[in-house]
Amino acid sequence: MLTFWKNVLENSPDAYEKAVRARDARIGAFLEFNPKRHLGNAAHKAASAEKHAVLAGLPFGVKDNIAVDGFRLSCGSRILEKFTSPYHATAVQRLMDVGAVPVGKTNLDEFGMGSSTDNSALGNTTNPWNEDHVVGGSSGGSAAAVAAGLVPFALGSDTGGSVRQPASFCGVYGLKPTYGTVSRFGLVAYASSLDVIGALSADLDVLQAVYEVMSGADAFDQTSIDVQSLGSRDAEAGGAASLGYRGKSPCLGVLKPDQLELSAEVSETYYACLEGFRSLGYEVKEISLSMLEYVAPVYYTIATAEASANLARYNGVRYGLRPDYAENPDELVRLSRDQGFGPEVKLRILLGTYVLRSGFQDQYYLRAQKIRTAIRQDFEAGFGEVDMILTPTFPRQAFKHGGEDMSPFEQKQADKFTASANLAGIPALNFPAGVLKGLPVGMQLLAPAFGEPRLLAAARDYATLYQPELAPGYERPAGEQ
Amino acid sequence: MYQSFIGLEIHIQLATQTKIFCGCKAAFGDEPNSNICPVCMGYPGVLPVLNQEAMRMAYVVARTLNCTLSPRSVFERKNYFYPDLPKNYQISQYEHPLGRDGFVDIEFHKKKRRVRIHEVHLEEDAGKMIHAGDMSLLDYNRAGTPLLEIVTEPDLEVGEEAEVLLQQFRRMVRYLGVCDGNMEEGSMRCDANVSVNLSGAGLGNKVEIKNLNSSRFVRKALNFEISRQKDILERGGTVVQETRLWNENRDVSEAMRTKESAHDYRYFPEPDLPPFITDEAFLLEVEKGLVELPAARRTRFIEEYGLSELQAEFLIDERSTAEFFEQTIALGADPQSAASWLASDVKKLLNRRDESIDSSVLNPERFAELLRLLDEGRIHGKIAKQVLEEVFASDASPAAIIKAKGWEQITDPAELSDYISTVLEAHPNAVEQVRAGDAKPVGFLVGQVMKATSGRAEPQLLQELISSRLAVKVIHVLSFGGAISGVRREDGLIGPGELFDLRTEFAGDTGLPAELRLEEIQLGAFLSEEIAPADWAVLVSEIARRIEDSEAAGIVVAHGTDTLSYTASLLYWFFGKARIPIILTASSVPNDSKRGSAKPRSEAVANISAAVKRAASGAPGVGVVYGAQEFAPLNLKFERVEEGADRAGVFRTWNEAVVPAGAGPMSTGPASTGAPVSVDLSHLPNPIYPAAGVDPTDRKAVQAALEEAMSRCFIVKAFPGMRGDHLITLMKNGVRYFVLELYDTGTASVRETPYSLRAALQYGAANGVSFFCTSQQEAMVDFADYVTSHELWREGAIPMGRLTTESAFTRLIVAQLGSEDELEVQRIMEDQ
Repeated sequence: MLTFWKNVLENSPDAYEKAVRARDARIGAFLEFNPKRHLGNAAHKAASAEKHAVLAGLPFGVKDNIAVDGFRLSCGSRILEKFTSPYHATAVQRLMDVGAVPVGKTNLDEFGMGSSTDNSALGNTTNPWNEDHVVGGSSGGSAAAVAAGLVPFALGSDTGGSVRQPASFCGVYGLKPTYGTVSRFGLVAYASSLDVIGALSADLDVLQAVYEVMSGADAFDQTSIDVQSLGSRDAEAGGAASLGYRGKSPCLGVLKPDQLELSAEVSETYYACLEGFRSLGYEVKEISLSMLEYVAPVYYTIATAEASANLARYNGVRYGLRPDYAENPDELVRLSRDQGFGPEVKLRILLGTYVLRSGFQDQYYLRAQKIRTAIRQDFEAGFGEVDMILTPTFPRQAFKHGGEDMSPFEQKQADKFTASANLAGIPALNFPAGVLKGLPVGMQLLAPAFGEPRLLAAARDYATLYQPELAPGYERPAGEQ
Repeated sequence: MYQSFIGLEIHIQLATQTKIFCGCKAAFGDEPNSNICPVCMGYPGVLPVLNQEAMRMAYVVARTLNCTLSPRSVFERKNYFYPDLPKNYQISQYEHPLGRDGFVDIEFHKKKRRVRIHEVHLEEDAGKMIHAGDMSLLDYNRAGTPLLEIVTEPDLEVGEEAEVLLQQFRRMVRYLGVCDGNMEEGSMRCDANVSVNLSGAGLGNKVEIKNLNSSRFVRKALNFEISRQKDILERGGTVVQETRLWNENRDVSEAMRTKESAHDYRYFPEPDLPPFITDEAFLLEVEKGLVELPAARRTRFIEEYGLSELQAEFLIDERSTAEFFEQTIALGADPQSAASWLASDVKKLLNRRDESIDSSVLNPERFAELLRLLDEGRIHGKIAKQVLEEVFASDASPAAIIKAKGWEQITDPAELSDYISTVLEAHPNAVEQVRAGDAKPVGFLVGQVMKATSGRAEPQLLQELISSRLAVKVIHVLSFGGAISGVRREDGLIGPGELFDLRTEFAGDTGLPAELRLEEIQLGAFLSEEIAPADWAVLVSEIARRIEDSEAAGIVVAHGTDTLSYTASLLYWFFGKARIPIILTASSVPNDSKRGSAKPRSEAVANISAAVKRAASGAPGVGVVYGAQEFAPLNLKFERVEEGADRAGVFRTWNEAVVPAGAGPMSTGPASTGAPVSVDLSHLPNPIYPAAGVDPTDRKAVQAALEEAMSRCFIVKAFPGMRGDHLITLMKNGVRYFVLELYDTGTASVRETPYSLRAALQYGAANGVSFFCTSQQEAMVDFADYVTSHELWREGAIPMGRLTTESAFTRLIVAQLGSEDELEVQRIMEDQ
């Protein structure tokens, strides 16, 4: 399959484009697709670094809140519908430097705010496994594009689970790296202290290479970290292949059942997964994350506070949607925002503005920051006992469009497993763990900061027990004869 | 009684190459929206990257302001919507600014004050919105320029202090090289907080004033606002806490928004920037950025180089000038002459050519060479000015120029002696006349030598050589009216007259040196109370001409007693640094003795005799000889006392601590031949001429200048029941400067009645009229101790320290001659 992907753009770009367009007409993964735009701009295959040769020539999708020069950067919002990015995000540039080619922009919940991609103002994306069900979100377009074989990998952004949750809904791998390891330059900010660029793929080699290429300090992002220079335990171990956990019996933390509140399908898969890891020689240890119940409220307090400032720049003055006429600059700003933002975005901006009001900060924003610290300490204590923590990615499988089987409030509460990693800044990986009733179930592994290699190693281990299935009808890449 | 409190928020744009969070050029005046990028335009997805240089400059300023430097400073987002703010939040600092708890010292009208600095924080500037008709245009070139905000505590009291503080700030940031301090272009900006309350009741309701685009507007706006708030309180009202805009066209502040509509900025820490942690290397860089500050440098210049405050003030104003000066001194130049050349001719030439000192062709080497040539007498003053112009015109060294132009003076005594010999041999009759006791031909002979040398003879040397060759010493006695030259008329009254014939009167005076040749010059026959500007112009120009010429070894001015204290101080301000002695003398009664009969000598004859001796042998500069005593030319007071049968007068010096009085009786008796003792004048305030302005030898020009200057001045003496509105009438008639003679240490009524100075002071402040305050008594005016004098200070009156009304008045006249504006006059007046 990889051989096909490595050559498709060079050998038959037109056929590939045609095939993707045909498939995507049903799924709606891409908001914009043009495989030839950057074909000549990515580094030539031969010149690419040997270490990451696996990526040379590969087409990839980019969530439409990550900047790719010459492509739109709509963020799934009316207010940026016609905005074209004048620059590349650092992560995109680095992938292009090793020969990968961005081919299009994928759909998302407006500004990354949502769990279904139904909050996009610009397109509908459906789950390749079952069109009645949502694809997850907010990086739903990227998950769908990978699951439907449109691209071998795609970039997403993860603020509270936006890479991992759609990955779990679509049955693909989704990695949320440690905060700061991947430059945020070019990622349209939703909640700056939580945002991180992640990747989705059905192939662990590709996923690992994408992570390694993207990560590293960036002069354009002062919160970025030089992972290589940290000399972490995992990095010293020399990468996933030789992590050595088998030798000393890696220890997996699991949560007490009363903290989980899972659907039957997810619960069944979770316990099966635990047994699977035991059978691979992993030690399993029950731990308690006492702060878990506060994750959702704390996440929504901090994320909306930061969002209220981050989204203030969209005022119709310099770019983006603006009314044809306004009496004065104030009215221009008011009308642009009224017409440009969707209801979920408005809700979160208002919430964020509310929690930051002077006189109320102690009650909301500052209290949330204190709890965030407690959550981080909770994880630190946990990682004192175990190497990784295993949780479900989401308490249930992909829900249906329209929220009939899961209300928006329930969707927010269900972010607790994923959002905890963002609040603590630690890496987390969704891996496919089974398919029940025609829909995939994903599990999440969490590791201490910079523990990406051990997450990938564990996923490789688990893949020896369960090889992820692709969505029915999409087993072969688009364009493959 | 009300008290006012002013705090300032000063913004300075840091002069970094690039903006604070991106690589765009930080520059003023470029094509709109030409220095922008996705980062400073707030495009989706971009992140700020902190400019380290901006941080360094910011810490340097905080350190200079004596702040506690934060080892960990945090940026925060300040949220508000305005179209010129690209992100609609400003990255600023709030909880953890980079500097806190500093201070800066200022001085206004002799009152020193320590202004506490609340905090110093760094932030990004916004763009500019321009409203044009029904459109609003935006220029984002300025967006993202590093902006340093300095917040003071409300420690200031009057607008003038704020103005002084801002001027000091401007100079400081220019010295540090972190900002050009240009308020007109907006690289330095200021908002002010003002509150007024009853004395002792603490701060009142705070009003913020914005749009203060120059230090002058700051002063005007603050003083306007203080009186506005006072008016409200006096009428029993309450000041509304609000933000007001200064309308510079109407000179009023206008309400902008009230507290209720104030922003909630919803600060929170900027997640895109990690806290800035200072490390040792960074702090070392900060220390390296510190420089000697203007105030410290001014003090050092005064102490180390013996400069006047005004000279030092001029030199330190620009760092480049101060450094040029010190480089010149290091090359061996005399600090005094370097300072006065820089402040006058060099400054004039630079202004004319629109150049700055560090970019002009005049370098310290050339300048030092010019001063050395002057000092060695190889060129004289007038030629030196031409040489300086030529340096600028032809980019050559002074030595090369005088060689090429043949401008070198003859300073070799042997060479000059040859010329003198030739002239003396050619004019035996003139020589004979001189030997016989006539002074007149000396001038003729000097003129002949000058002619023979094409004007290249060094004047001082020529005078010395001629004097010794002819064995004469020429003293010019200028008769300038007064009783000393007056006559007792038939009806017993004293009237003006011509000075008696000295040679006759002195015929038997063995105390006079034999080589003395006196020349009498009749400048005016009037009584000294009749002096007009035209008379002073004659006196000034005649003295100036004689200082330039070579024949007189000294000058005596015979004067009346009534106005001697004015003329003496006037001449001091003009000629205090002259190369020859200029001695004033007077007599309270005319020379009543019969002509020819030498004894008993009258007071008039005795005083002139003493003055002549002093002029023939004493130190150069201006002095006063009266009644066998020598006095400094400043702070004289004439007192008439009953002494025996004759009504006699006596002079006294006020405030001797600063202006020393006579050094004891002079040896004027006929038996004595000892040289009179001179007064040590080194403590006197510096003379102020020449700085610029008119050529003192040009009588017409001096007269015009004096008439204009004197028409703007007025002396007023405070008295009980004085009505301020009368002074307003004077101001309306063109009076711009008052010498205000107050009581004791500078007290006067400023009550809220018509019978006080308040209305006049306020009207004056609003119209740029200055009040220079002296005392009716022998006291130091410093506005200390009394409530009323503090009020006077608040209203802008300027204390004159120990100067008497007469000395302050003449200083004021001369100060105007070389000044461009009222501010400069004020500065000269305060430089004592």
